[in-house]
Amino acid sequence: MSNTQDEAVTRLDSAVAEVFETMLERSCDPLEGEVDTVEGRIVARIQFTGAVDGECLLYASQATASVTAEALLGTPSEPHDPMVDDAIGELCNMIAGGWKSKLASPDSNCSISTPAVTRDGLEGYQAKFGTKFSRKYSFQGNVFGVVLAF
Amino acid sequence: MRKVIERALRQAGLELSEVLQASNGEEALQTLRDNQGSDALALILSDINMPVMDGLQFLEARKQENLAQGVPVVMITTEGNESFVLRAIAAGAQGYICKPFTAEQVKARVLPLLRAA
Repeated sequence: MSNTQDEAVTRLDSAVAEVFETMLERSCDPLEGEVDTVEGRIVARIQFTGAVDGECLLYASQATASVTAEALLGTPSEPHDPMVDDAIGELCNMIAGGWKSKLASPDSNCSISTPAVTRDGLEGYQAKFGTKFSRKYSFQGNVFGVVLAF
Repeated sequence: MRKVIERALRQAGLELSEVLQASNGEEALQTLRDNQGSDALALILSDINMPVMDGLQFLEARKQENLAQGVPVVMITTEGNESFVLRAIAAGAQGYICKPFTAEQVKARVLPLLRAA
């Protein structure tokens, strides 16, 4: 990995850990190596515009998304609960915002969009940006993925 | 996020009799217009990053329309960026909370404003 990518990964790991510890009171760790355990049905997307142009995607299976929403909201979620989509969108927003806020100036001078959440999965996804990496994380055995492209 | 904030306020020990909710700045403005004359409103919490009308535009429009004057406003943001904060203060915000946050941080920002109001 290049230095730029190494730094971006470190910042992302730190942002994810911070969000989970603070908002969900759970520890969340990156999974090293090839991990292919995320179905990726729910995808939340945040776009960066400005000094950095890019996007951050968070994807998770329905089951992981439900567990995550319950941890964030403190209440059980129903099947097809729209609160699950909101929770995943908000999580992506906080992770993307945390990653952005760890950028040094002038790169941090970019705005982030509101989250868009779909159930299309990641099939056929292609980043339009020069640098792209994906990372998987696990909390209490629940695995989700984050793609960062800029 | 609205549900998360409400949960944090309750965890902070605030007894909330009623919580009015809006999903964006435009809805929030309408909620304030609909409740004009009511003195029950104690606090406004607004995200900055919202669809349709964002939190800063909401604050500026609220100021222009003189809605809920004297009610403290706390902005919630992933943007710790100084220009956002200065713009929010200029538009009438009394404080801000950075995401991610703990219930203790919410309490520390909100309680003094409620006591002062």
